[in-house]
Order: sequence, then C-alpha cells, then structure tokens
Amino acid sequence: MIRKKSCVAMLLAGGQGSRLGILTRNVAKPAVPFGGKYRIIDFPLSNCVNSGIDVVGVLTQYRPLELNAYIGSGAPWDLDLNSGGVYVLPPYHTGKTGEWYRGTANAIYQNLEFAKQYNPDYVLILSGDHIYKMDYSEMIDHHIQHKAAATIAVRQVPWEEASRFGIMNTDEDFNITEFEEKPANPKSNNASMGVYVFSFDKLYKYLEADEQDEASSNDFGNDVIPAMLSAGERMTAFTFKGYWKDVGTIESLWDANMDLLKQPPPMDLHDRKWRIYARNIGMPPHYAAKGAQVLDSLVTEGCQIEGAVTHSVLSANVTVEAGAQVIDSVIMPFARIGKGAVIRRAIIAEHAVIGANAVVGEEEGDIAVVGSNASLEAGTRVTAGQQVGE
Amino acid sequence: MKSNIVGLIFTGDRIEDLRDLIRNRSVAALPMLGRYRLIDFLLSNMIHSGMHNIGIIMQSNYHSLMDHIGSGREWDLHGKRSGVTILPPYVSNTGGGVYDGMLDALHSNLSFLRRSSERYILVTDSYMLYRVQYDEVCARHIDTKADITLLYTKDRNVRRNGWGRYLNIDPDGIVQSMEFDPTIPHYPNTYMSAFLMRRELLIDLVDRAVAAGMHHFARELLVQLLHERMYKIAGYECPGEIWSIDSVLAYYQTNMDFLNTKVRTHVFAADRPIWTKLRDEMPARYTSTARVVNSLVADGCVIEGTVENSILFRSVAVKPGAVVRNSILMQDALINRNAEVDSCILDKQTTVREGTRIVAPRDFPIVIGKNLTI
Repeated sequence: MIRKKSCVAMLLAGGQGSRLGILTRNVAKPAVPFGGKYRIIDFPLSNCVNSGIDVVGVLTQYRPLELNAYIGSGAPWDLDLNSGGVYVLPPYHTGKTGEWYRGTANAIYQNLEFAKQYNPDYVLILSGDHIYKMDYSEMIDHHIQHKAAATIAVRQVPWEEASRFGIMNTDEDFNITEFEEKPANPKSNNASMGVYVFSFDKLYKYLEADEQDEASSNDFGNDVIPAMLSAGERMTAFTFKGYWKDVGTIESLWDANMDLLKQPPPMDLHDRKWRIYARNIGMPPHYAAKGAQVLDSLVTEGCQIEGAVTHSVLSANVTVEAGAQVIDSVIMPFARIGKGAVIRRAIIAEHAVIGANAVVGEEEGDIAVVGSNASLEAGTRVTAGQQVGE
Repeated sequence: MKSNIVGLIFTGDRIEDLRDLIRNRSVAALPMLGRYRLIDFLLSNMIHSGMHNIGIIMQSNYHSLMDHIGSGREWDLHGKRSGVTILPPYVSNTGGGVYDGMLDALHSNLSFLRRSSERYILVTDSYMLYRVQYDEVCARHIDTKADITLLYTKDRNVRRNGWGRYLNIDPDGIVQSMEFDPTIPHYPNTYMSAFLMRRELLIDLVDRAVAAGMHHFARELLVQLLHERMYKIAGYECPGEIWSIDSVLAYYQTNMDFLNTKVRTHVFAADRPIWTKLRDEMPARYTSTARVVNSLVADGCVIEGTVENSILFRSVAVKPGAVVRNSILMQDALINRNAEVDSCILDKQTTVREGTRIVAPRDFPIVIGKNLTI
C-alpha cells in the first residue's frame, strides 16, 4: 500500500541538450558535471529533499545510462526510502501504445499513473537544466493560499533580455493574465523558470485534454498553460528572488561555473541549512605540490596540482602537471592537463587528456570545449569556440 | 562473490602516548589524512577483499566511532546479506564490562563468532595503517596448510615508537617465537596485531585460554602456542609501507608522509578507494591572497592565507595574512588573520585568534585540544 503524499515532484530529464554540443554527446544534460563536485541534477534533487518533498520521478529518455547510474538508489539525497524516494521513469509500452516522449506535457502525461499512486494534492514539475537553490515548499504554500490551479515560478529579468523568455503578465495579486513566449515587446519582465506547481486534478484534466488535441505540440509552455488560461483557471505567479541560471548552453554553463568564483558568490554552496548533495567517488583530499600556484579557484578532492590554476573550477581527480596553466576554465572530473599546456576560457570534459604544451581556448571569443575521453596530442591548438571530440 | 572470511576489528587498546588525541575517541577513530578516520583503511581493506560480514569490538570512548560507522552504508555494509556489527562491551553473568586484553574481548563476543558462518576469521587491532588483500592472506593460509597466519611487516616505519612485537620466522615462513618490547629487536619482522585462522579454531582457543585465566591474545595465548608447537603458525609479510599510529609523533609523521605523492598513489589506489563518512562539503575555495604549497586540502576549506607542508581537513578556514606550516588542522579549524601556526596538530573546531603565534619544534608537535580557542 503506497502512502498518500501531499506533493510529488516530477523532473523532466529527457532532453538531449543539443545546445551543449559535444558535452551531451554521450550523457543527458542533467548528468553534466557542474561546480567541481556536482552534476546539474543535484540541484533540483537537493532542493526537493531540502523542501520536504521525498517522492521524485525523474523522466529520462536521451542517453540515460550515466544518469541512471548516478541516481542509483537515491541514497546520496536521502531518497532511498520505503515510502517514496527517487524513481527513474523511462518511456514504456502499455500494450496498445508505447512511444517516445513527444514533449514536456506528453512526458508527464505518460507518467500520470506514477504520480497517481501517491494520491497527491499537488504535483511539482521541474527541469534538469537549472542551477539554483529554491525552497519549493514556499511556492506550494503560495499555490494553496491563492487557491490556484497552477502556479508558475518567475523571476525578474532585465527588461532588455525579457524578449528571450516566456513572460508572465500578471495583475497586482500575482494572478497570471497572459502568457507570451519570447514576446518582441514584453509587457512584463517576469520570466518563467520552468518550475510549475499544479493541483493534481487540474493537471490530470488538462493533460488528458491536451492529449486528445491533435494540433497540440504537447508542451507546457506552448499548449497546456495557454489552454488553462483561456479556460479561465486561476493561475498565479510565484516570484523567486535568489540566484537562478539556465545552463543549457556552453556559454551559460561556463558562466554559471565562473559565478561560483565571485567574492562573495551569488549562490552560497557553503550554506549548511541548504546543502547540495552529490554522489561521492571516494577520493583523498587534493594535493597542491611544491610548485603549485592556485588563485581564485575551486578545487575538489582527488586533484593533483603541480602547475598554475587561476580563476577556474577543478572537479574531482583532475591532474594539472608542472608548467601547465589553467585560466578562466572549467575542468571536469578525471581530466589531465599535460606539462606546459595552456587552458584558457575553456571547458575540458571528463577523462579528457590534454597533451604537453597544447593550447586550448583564447583570451577573447567563445568558449573552447574538449569533449569527454578526448585525447589531444602534444602541441595541439584548439581555438576559441572550437569543440574537439573523442 | 561469496566470501569465506569474517572480519573482526578490535578497537579497545588505549595507547597512552597518543595523549590528547585520544582523550575523547578511540585510536580507531583518529582523524587521518584530511578526511578519514583510521578505521576506514581497515574497513576498506576488508571490503576490497570481498568481505562483507564485519564486527567492530568497541571498548571505551566509542561515541565518535559509532557516529562514524553509522549504518555502514558508506562501505556498502548495510545490506541484508552483509553488514557491520557494532560490539560494545556489556556485562553478563559470566563477566564482561571492561576488557583486559583482546582475548577478553574475543571471549565476550564469542556469540558473534559462533553466529557467523564464514570458515575463516581475520582479526586485527586498529592502530596500524596499511593496505593489504586479506583474501590473498587467506589463500596463502590455505596453501601453506597453516593453522594460524600472523601478519607482519619489515617496514621500519612502524618502529618509530620503540615498542613492538617481533617475530622470529624460519626460512619456510614458520613463526618460531615472538619477542615483546625489546630494547633492541632481534628480528626485522614486526607483528601487526592481525591474524587469520579457522573461525572454529579461534572459538576453541579462546574458550580454553580464558578457562586457563589468560587475558591477552599475543603475550599469553600466542606465546604459549608457539612454545607448545602443536599448531602450524605461519607469517604473512604485508607488502608496501605500513604505519603504526602509537604516539603523537607517529601520528604527526604518518600524516606528513602522505605529502609524498608516491605514498598516496600506493595507499589510495584508484581501483580500491578508501570510503569514509561523507560531509557533502563544497570544493575547497582559494581566494586571490591564497598561497598553498606541498599540502593536502579537503573539501569545504576556504584559503585566503599561506599554507605550507600541511594537511587541512574538511572546512578549515585560513584567513588573509595567516600562515600555516608543517601542521595538521582537523575539521572546522579557524586560523584568523595574521596568526601563525607551525608544527601543530589542531583538533576539531579549534580557533586560533588574530595575531596568535604557536610555533613548536618539528620533532615535538603540539596538540591543541578539541573546541579550544587560543
């Protein structure tokens, strides 16, 4: 007998994340490493448990193996529970039908039975490509107080950027009056964060209807939210004021890593009351050798540093050999930077090996990327914006 | 694969030369190398040898050890068919309470030995740091048709404190005799207080020895068995470097030895990770005023000052202008601005006030007790 849960979270983790280029060639976007010892999915998962939500369905589709292995039993997030926990939900065959997820709404629709097992009052819908610390329980309280059918988390973006987002126009009581996807002339700067709370009965009703509508693209932003608005449902906006970053592109992923190096950082990962949990790989403390020089950087356990590291994020088990320089860069787990190599404004993915005296990235221009398991020969040059794979 | 060895870790011995370091903890719970406790190395040796039934005999001050082990999850020892059993002292109608020696402890925990189903048992004390495959010890034990196999080392590291037990081993690998705390050892083989035998033989030996009034496994029972020559007692030489954490100086030097990359590469072999209790700290942060050389730094540290030849446990903060040299700083230590610490061991949650200087000679490191502010 499965116990009733007031709120069940469903995390959309199936997108390919093609804008991350070579970084998501072999893994789903939520499994991409971030901030030295985390992966992107650690943020929504940790937010859930810190908010008191202990049932999380993770909807996977694209290259799920690494993500599945990472989530495992859910123990790193205290989500290995008898009454709840984290569940990986791939698309499945029902006998009559069976298909890939067609859109965000369709993915949730195909897993309504999962949520229904817990007879929830509310369903929290999250995506796996944002870095933020958010107390979802405040948003659910807001939803309850406003007796809403759906609540959409928004944050205020600079007006000049508003036309890049889905914009919620609201009245003074936070009721959403209109939703505009990337409006040329925005009337508000409340941008949707892709975090939704639905009353379960309403979600059920509108997803059923959306499924019947053959013209629908089965997307929350494009189809379900507009349909609920035009049906006159009460929709409210919940304003989130903290740090939030979409890390869906190479540039923004790099930016968000660099944000962690600011003093003081815009998002505090030291906060003991709101820890971000991650799976641990059991490495000794990092070692800064006699000739090492490390400034303005984050360095994770297992690293071995003999060279110079400036304003960079080093993930677990990275080796920086003598004479190598790492500047303004993100080095993912187990990468090795050879003697005399220079890494500048670059992302070096997991297990990549940079040969001696190679030069990756430039002082100006786009971020250079070396993909996972790639091996650069000694002296190779990778220019700004270039992506080099296996 | 199913293991045929049950493990038993004895954490009872108090080693007075460790002074303040063991005031509130057992030797097995000593914080080591930036993020571990001494027992992690034994537990990891066991799980990498395929063992998954492990008992830990506790004696005194075992709160920190209990807290550390928890459910055993970090070592994958929390299953239905595997697990770690905490064996605290208890009083029964036949005795119990405080153990006089390992033999006493084994006798009090005979029910654990009887309840286990593995054919062999590996018993080890907990003051040595080493990597070994106990499954290989067992394979050799079977090969040589030994009744008892004693682990020993030729590494001179373990002799730093001037006491020890030395084995006289003949060319066939058979232990002939054992000497205790000699002024000058006659044999190069230090007994590591670890042995393997059939579980049922151990039960039998313990029963008989306790009935004969013995308390100590090595100095009474083993000596008698060596003398009687009824059993074939073999030696197994543990390869690699071995450390005996039996004094403040040995504790200090052991930690410092790990600033050597070769030593770390051997002990922290990538295919045999050392597991420990997690704290979920963020990566260490270096600011623009940081200067760190030849040091081990754990996650959660924030370094704004100078750190040389030192080991920093999790969440240590070194403020601008502060200098840390040749020191071991346990978790949550805080070194304020312009303070200087040289050749010190700072226990957990210590604070060094702004401008304070604590400089000790390198061969006599100072221990600053837990929670102190100086």
